[in-house]
Amino acid sequence: MANSLGFQGDGGSVLSMEHVRSLTDLQDLKEAYERLCAEEKDVESELLTLLGQQTIVEKKMLALQRMGPNLQLIEGDAQQLSGMITFTCNLAENVSSKVRQLDLAKSRLYQAIQRADDILDLKFCMDGVQTAMKNEDYEQAAAHIHRYLCLDKSVIELSRQGKEGNIIEANLHHLQEAEQHLKVVVSEKFDAATKSGDLPQVERFFKIFPLLGLHEEGISKFSGYLCKQVAKKAEENLQLALGTEGGERRAALIFADTLTLLFEGIARIVETHQPILETYYGPGRLYMLIKHLQAECDRQVEKVVDKFVQHRDYHRKFQQVQSCMMRGSSTDKIEPRDLDPILSEVTLMSARTELYLRFIKRRVVSDFEVGDSMATEEVKQEHLQNLDKLIKHCLLSCSVQELIGYYITMEEFYMRESVNKAVAMDTCERGQLISSMVDDVFYIVKKCIGRALSSSSIDCLCAMINLSTTMLESDFREVLCNKLRMGFPATTFQDIQRGVTSAVNLMQSSLQQGKFDTKGIESNDEAKMSFLVSLNNVEVCSENIMTLKKNLENDCNKMFSQGLGGEQAKAKIDSCLSDMASVSNKFKDLLQEGLGELNSTAVKPQVKPWINLFLSVSHNIEEEEFNDYEANDPWVQQFIVNLEQLMAEFKAGLSSVIYENLTSLLTSLIAMELEKVVLKSTFSRLGGLQFDKELRSLIAYLTTVTTWTIRDKFARLTQMATILNLERVTEILDYWGPNSGPLTWRLTPAEVRQVLALRIDFRSEDIKRLRL
Amino acid sequence: MSMEDYDFLFKIVLIGNAGVGKTCLVRRFTQGLFPPGQGATIGVDFMIKTVEIKGEKIKLQIWDTAGQERFRSITQSYYRSANALILTYDITCEESFRCLPEWLREIEQYANSEVITVLVGNKIDLAERREVSQQRAEEFAGTQNMYYLETSAKESDNVEKLFLDLACRLISEARQNALVNNVDSSLPGEGKSITYLNCCNFN
Repeated sequence: MANSLGFQGDGGSVLSMEHVRSLTDLQDLKEAYERLCAEEKDVESELLTLLGQQTIVEKKMLALQRMGPNLQLIEGDAQQLSGMITFTCNLAENVSSKVRQLDLAKSRLYQAIQRADDILDLKFCMDGVQTAMKNEDYEQAAAHIHRYLCLDKSVIELSRQGKEGNIIEANLHHLQEAEQHLKVVVSEKFDAATKSGDLPQVERFFKIFPLLGLHEEGISKFSGYLCKQVAKKAEENLQLALGTEGGERRAALIFADTLTLLFEGIARIVETHQPILETYYGPGRLYMLIKHLQAECDRQVEKVVDKFVQHRDYHRKFQQVQSCMMRGSSTDKIEPRDLDPILSEVTLMSARTELYLRFIKRRVVSDFEVGDSMATEEVKQEHLQNLDKLIKHCLLSCSVQELIGYYITMEEFYMRESVNKAVAMDTCERGQLISSMVDDVFYIVKKCIGRALSSSSIDCLCAMINLSTTMLESDFREVLCNKLRMGFPATTFQDIQRGVTSAVNLMQSSLQQGKFDTKGIESNDEAKMSFLVSLNNVEVCSENIMTLKKNLENDCNKMFSQGLGGEQAKAKIDSCLSDMASVSNKFKDLLQEGLGELNSTAVKPQVKPWINLFLSVSHNIEEEEFNDYEANDPWVQQFIVNLEQLMAEFKAGLSSVIYENLTSLLTSLIAMELEKVVLKSTFSRLGGLQFDKELRSLIAYLTTVTTWTIRDKFARLTQMATILNLERVTEILDYWGPNSGPLTWRLTPAEVRQVLALRIDFRSEDIKRLRL
Repeated sequence: MSMEDYDFLFKIVLIGNAGVGKTCLVRRFTQGLFPPGQGATIGVDFMIKTVEIKGEKIKLQIWDTAGQERFRSITQSYYRSANALILTYDITCEESFRCLPEWLREIEQYANSEVITVLVGNKIDLAERREVSQQRAEEFAGTQNMYYLETSAKESDNVEKLFLDLACRLISEARQNALVNNVDSSLPGEGKSITYLNCCNFN
């Protein structure tokens, strides 16, 4: 309000003087005047209200003046309060610092008490040790020493500086002496107990070592004791083994058994003493014990293996085998069967070793797992690597690896020689589809790989799989290949058909063969059978290889499920087995080659002339001849009879799978050859009908002898028969192009014309005019 | 298993004296590692690496064999199925070079005749201790018709090259064989009867 007043007062009014002065119009002046009057009235009323408020303001001023002294009082009070607060604060700080000091004092007091306790303990230990030693209570003494060793070294240092420093110094000296003395005594007692073979005493002192902080020494001393036991037992066992009579039940496996006893002994030791070790030495220390035991194990294994090599003449046998394999010399020939026992024994030794090492590994790894649960990854890795190295490179592993190395060569020799024998003694009973060698060879291979598998050594198994694959793929396949290469001799049946001259030849040749027979050359029949048997052999081989592979896979899975080998081993075996499977395919290829050979040498030369006879039967015939043909079939029935005779021999001599294959080849051959002769013939309307009948009979017959569908192979011929059966040339259009319906033409337009032209009653102009 | 995703599969077997660095070469190539203080290999180890060359996936099956004598009968059994052999020696070890003829005799005896053999002189990072000069090794490799390469598994020198070059040669060899096979072996059985038919038509 003051503002608006001020504003108005400042300018006097809303209307400035200049504005008023500049007014010239009366009307305007009047307006201005009225506005000014109204303004004056407003101002007057405002002034009146302001004057009316004067008394209230004065009253308020009075009240304010009365409050003045009160305010001074309040200020004084406030100052007093502030002073008090500052004082209190200082006081509080004082108190708290005192509390802090008290606290410190208290904790120092506790420390002092602790130290006093420690010193008392120390004293107690000193006294205790001495009395315990006097009483030969070594456990108690060791417990005191252990207590002393657990004490804070600074406490001991401090207590020396105390008032009674000298006494304590002397006592400490005693204590240290006692400690040294105890160590010596325990060692001596332990050694004495060891010497007398007093197991409870040995174990008693074994438990004391860790109390004296002598973990390693304890374990090494204890291991020494255990090793001596192992050695003693092993020595006895070896002597027993060497004294074994040849006739005893397990005489042939006596060294493997001796090795087994050694391993079992060590395993038993681990079983028995691991709990004590774990209780008194803590987890993670088994490795140390095993390391000592393994050294003794290695020493004993060396002796056993040495004796084995010596008594079984292992190296000489190996060298003999090697020279046999290198030169194939027969001067110093080894009978493979004679190797059987030694091969079995070596694989058993290897298997026992693998089992033992797996046991050791499992035990130590689980012990490390507990002991290293707080350790860093690096420490864990290092521990496991150490274990791995110990197991992989210990003398035991090396010795067995060496034995297995020789074994593989000898097993290979065994396999090759046995297979050679099986091949040499190969016979085939009449009525048997395959000859004896196939079963024999696979029996041998299975036996050899099985023996390698029983060694539990993955590398050994893989090597034998590889060597078997090689033997089957090159050597044995070569044997079968050579038999097939001798070929299938042409049949005598064929010769008879060729007439009397050949019959004479036949007589002569059989006479000659009679002569040759005495010289050991197979007769025709035998040669034929031999060829068919070889074909069957090849097929069975390819099947047997797959069976062998499958069985080996199962065996290996069993082995893996028992925890032998890892991913790596699995991959290795898989790879070796897949190589074996590919050999199966090579036998399949060989089978196809043999079949092709059979088809081209035995089937085709016979079947072709029979089909060519079609040409000598006129198909340019009239009603009368057609009826005559009906009564006396001119060609197809005889052809079918011939085919039946030809295939009977193969049906009897070949496995059903191969026979199927052969009939398939036969039907293809017939279809192709028949097509050729048809295209060389001429036909009348009835001749076409005759051909259609003939073709139907033939297809009907062939359908009965094969399980494959043969309609497809005869599709072209069937279509040719259809064409040859037409009434008129243009009738073809009912079957051609858009009218062909479900029929797919296998003949080209040119061929259709060619076939149409075979009908003598069709005019060539009509055929030319056809739009196909 | 045979339906895996690769165009070629080759088996490569590393052979040579103990301690010449076969395992390190394989580890370097397959895992990019050089593990120092490697213990001697036991028997054979088996690694797989698939590489791509000119858009084709090549699966390399690498067999790392133990050099020690007692594993010889195991390692020999792998020679025959090998497509390539990497005969390795240590350039700082005259002895390992002098044994090469013996290794070649083994290859002659056990490997298949089409095998490709590469001679590798390893450990060229230790050049100051070299005992076998490059020229001498090259001459030797030349007389035996072998490809020669010097490598360092430690420094990763030529390791990649060794295996990739080998893979390339194996591919071209495989292609050539496929070609030869297609020419001389007509499909057995039916194939032969077709040729027969052709000569008949001729008559």
